[in-house]
Amino acid sequence: MTILGLIFKEIRHRKINFMLGSLAAVTAVALFVAFVTTGSAYRRETRRIMRDMGQNLRIIPKETSIDEFWSVGFSEHTMPEEYVNRFASLKGFSYTHLTATLQKKVLWRGMNVILTGILPEVLPLDKRNQKPMTFSVEPDTVYLGFEPARSSGIKKGDKIDILGKTFTVVECLSLTGSSDDIRIYGHLHDIQNILNLEGRINEIKALECLCIIESGKVPIDPLVLAETQLEKILPEAKVILLQGIAEIRQKQRAAMEGYLAFLMTVIVVVCGAWIGALAMTNVRDRQQEIGIMRALGYGSGKITLLFLGKSVIIGLLGAVLGYLIGTTLALNFGPDIFKVTAKAIRPEYILLAYSFVAAPAFACVSSFIPAAYAVSRDPAVTLREE
Amino acid sequence: MICIENVVKTYRTRRGDVKALNDINLRIEKGEFVVICGPSGSGKTTLLMTIAAMLHPTSGIVSVEANNLYAMNVQARAKYRAENIGFVFQMFHLVPYLNVLENVLLAGGTVASKNKNAKVLELIEQFGLAGRSYHKPAELSAGERQRTAIARALLNNPRIVLADEPTGNLDTENATSVLEYISQFHKAGGTVILATHGVEAERFADRTINLHNGSVTDSDKS
Repeated sequence: MTILGLIFKEIRHRKINFMLGSLAAVTAVALFVAFVTTGSAYRRETRRIMRDMGQNLRIIPKETSIDEFWSVGFSEHTMPEEYVNRFASLKGFSYTHLTATLQKKVLWRGMNVILTGILPEVLPLDKRNQKPMTFSVEPDTVYLGFEPARSSGIKKGDKIDILGKTFTVVECLSLTGSSDDIRIYGHLHDIQNILNLEGRINEIKALECLCIIESGKVPIDPLVLAETQLEKILPEAKVILLQGIAEIRQKQRAAMEGYLAFLMTVIVVVCGAWIGALAMTNVRDRQQEIGIMRALGYGSGKITLLFLGKSVIIGLLGAVLGYLIGTTLALNFGPDIFKVTAKAIRPEYILLAYSFVAAPAFACVSSFIPAAYAVSRDPAVTLREE
Repeated sequence: MICIENVVKTYRTRRGDVKALNDINLRIEKGEFVVICGPSGSGKTTLLMTIAAMLHPTSGIVSVEANNLYAMNVQARAKYRAENIGFVFQMFHLVPYLNVLENVLLAGGTVASKNKNAKVLELIEQFGLAGRSYHKPAELSAGERQRTAIARALLNNPRIVLADEPTGNLDTENATSVLEYISQFHKAGGTVILATHGVEAERFADRTINLHNGSVTDSDKS
């Protein structure tokens, strides 16, 4: 009689134990698969929310005084537009979504507005596949803030004149409750042109500059690092780091990663303990068999193989069923939870391969200790305790 | 020849040490039928298990054909048991999920030999179990279970059969039948050591050894 034959006969004999063991493995794998599959959606969703908080690095002309900057909301000095490309080519700096702007307060149709020229986002070389987070404005068009649109009764598609140049209104923006309500957004080069400031900007905004680690080792103050690095290539600029946004983003990311890691640990430990307890119960139930087989001269290796073989079967069953159940749960409930990134929730086939390796190994580890203990004792002791 | 020298076995319990074997010295010749008699708790089972290489003595030497059993490693002792010992238990100790045929064949998994299946069928026939080959232990009578256990013990052609109260759970008719099977093995040249607290086995024995509180009190030639 083969070891495999004995394993299957024992499984048929103790169906409940086998079913409970399999249930533990299926639960562990299903939860793992469901969390990992939806976990990436959760990360994307969190990133999206954090990104919507806005850019946190602002580079302004060096001669700008901080009191002037914060009281007006932007610098009244300018610096070369070419700075944005220099910044984009800088290596070892964890920035992205660079936006160059030129802003100036003007009187238009009897009201104060902020003309804002925007250059389409510049992405660093290694991040060219990212989608832009800010809107871009086509030449000869404008996005009209809530107040200028409302007070002048302008609608989408209307032609308007700004400082002698005609623009088409592509969008009238809704109320935001901020200075954006008095802005008129145009393409940077159009705004430069009507303000007679060709080749000049007064701000570069960037996102995500907190997680900087120099040489990949020691974290240092990101503002100090930003100033040090930018001073060499942008001599006419100064840096303002909006610590609050960056820190919130970083804390939220750390909390999210920590929570996912905690959940996975709890799942793995609880299911491991469950499988281990069942394996221990199984070994106790099978004291007589262990004693008989040892009395008949079976070596401890063959007897251990009986238990580990059963664990492998439980693990494989757990991997297949757990993957199917976990994926089904993620595909059915994930889109309801993560509405923004719902389309990104797809079956993660690599997890099936991981489960095929990890679940049997995990089940074996859980049952190895009770099995090894049982076969290490004298057969007479095992039979006497039966 | 089985040689037991100064064997002591002490069990450690929560209520203190219990000495099950107290300085036992015995020699059992090849082909001898020895009955070990004594009341419950006298150390019969412990002595049999020790001779069967299934229980480490606390001290002393157990040797068979000049091989010190407990000087061997675990694997060597398992091999020794498989090739030389057939053990019959009072509680039968059959594997519950295997049928009669498979239970007998289980012993064959430890020793390489030809015609194992033919030998199993021969034993099943010999022990009157042919009609029960595919029955599980739970579907057998006590006598049938014990005959299955004896067939299993004899499958590998052991040199020694150790039987621990083999008739303890049987009626008189089945008990006699079991003792006769064991006697047949002895007559064929095998060594038998049988532990019992009854007297019915003594008529088959060459010698009776009396145990009391873990010590040999006397040894009689039949």
